Amino acid sequence: MSDDSVDQILFQEEEILPSSGFAARVMDAVYRQASTPSPIPFPWKRAFPGLATAALTLLSVLLGFADLVWAASSVRHSATGAPVLVLAFHSKLMAQAGWVVLVSFVTLGAVKLSMRLTVA
Amino acid sequence: MTASEDQADVEKVLTGDIAAFEGIVRRWQSPLINLAYRFCRDRGRSEEMAQEAFLRAYTALGQWRREGAFSTWLFALAANIYCSELRRIPLKMVNLEEAADLMDLHNINRSLEDEDRKRAVRNAVAALPAKYREALTLFYFHDMNVTAAAESLGLPEGTVKARLYRGREMLRSKLLRVFPTQRLREA
Repeated sequence: MSDDSVDQILFQEEEILPSSGFAARVMDAVYRQASTPSPIPFPWKRAFPGLATAALTLLSVLLGFADLVWAASSVRHSATGAPVLVLAFHSKLMAQAGWVVLVSFVTLGAVKLSMRLTVA
Repeated sequence: MTASEDQADVEKVLTGDIAAFEGIVRRWQSPLINLAYRFCRDRGRSEEMAQEAFLRAYTALGQWRREGAFSTWLFALAANIYCSELRRIPLKMVNLEEAADLMDLHNINRSLEDEDRKRAVRNAVAALPAKYREALTLFYFHDMNVTAAAESLGLPEGTVKARLYRGREMLRSKLLRVFPTQRLREA
């Protein structure tokens, strides 16, 4: 089959006519759409404190974990036979507890603030 | 179908006269339905796709930049919707080789009818990968105008030309696999 005959077949497609009520159906859908209230945009400004707090919390957790792994790698021998990571974890536990408590309070504060702003 | 009518209706719609959109629908319903039909080969589905295109056009009317023709913007928007729709729910295709076998069984002593050839070519186009099928469909819809096809697809002309070339090559090889050479020559 030559290119010309393929061109001819694809060029001379049958034309279809819209059904009689097509324009009316489209306009009905347009009116419905126009009467639907536009979606409420996400409140980025209000969510920002919460998001920033969450990001900071995540960052501090990651840094804490990295610090833990670093400490574990520096412990060469374990007298009790416990895994070095567990030992390092215990040694760092008290130091990290303060941070965990602080982060918990900051998170709680952020949640309370968000809820108050949402109600307002 | 004039650009000034489109522009006037768009301005009215943008100032809150929703009824003015009906003028746009009436002027462009046939081209949009026919374009959709070339993509999906189903009358009912083509009207649904065209309706979706009009709805999107209504909501995005403010994004039409006046330096380009309204029709160019509308076709680009519609083509984008149709391509997405076809990728979401692909065509139910008859395997080209199977279709040819069926034709051979039924028409064993008859030469290929025009309709059979047309159907085979359309099946071959439908079986092409999406990017080639879309380029070919829009090229023939726009009276074999590469520039218009490129504008509708939102692609550079060079890319569309390359896709058309590759699409035609694939089409030719598919059709050669299905039809014996003698028959093709007769055609």
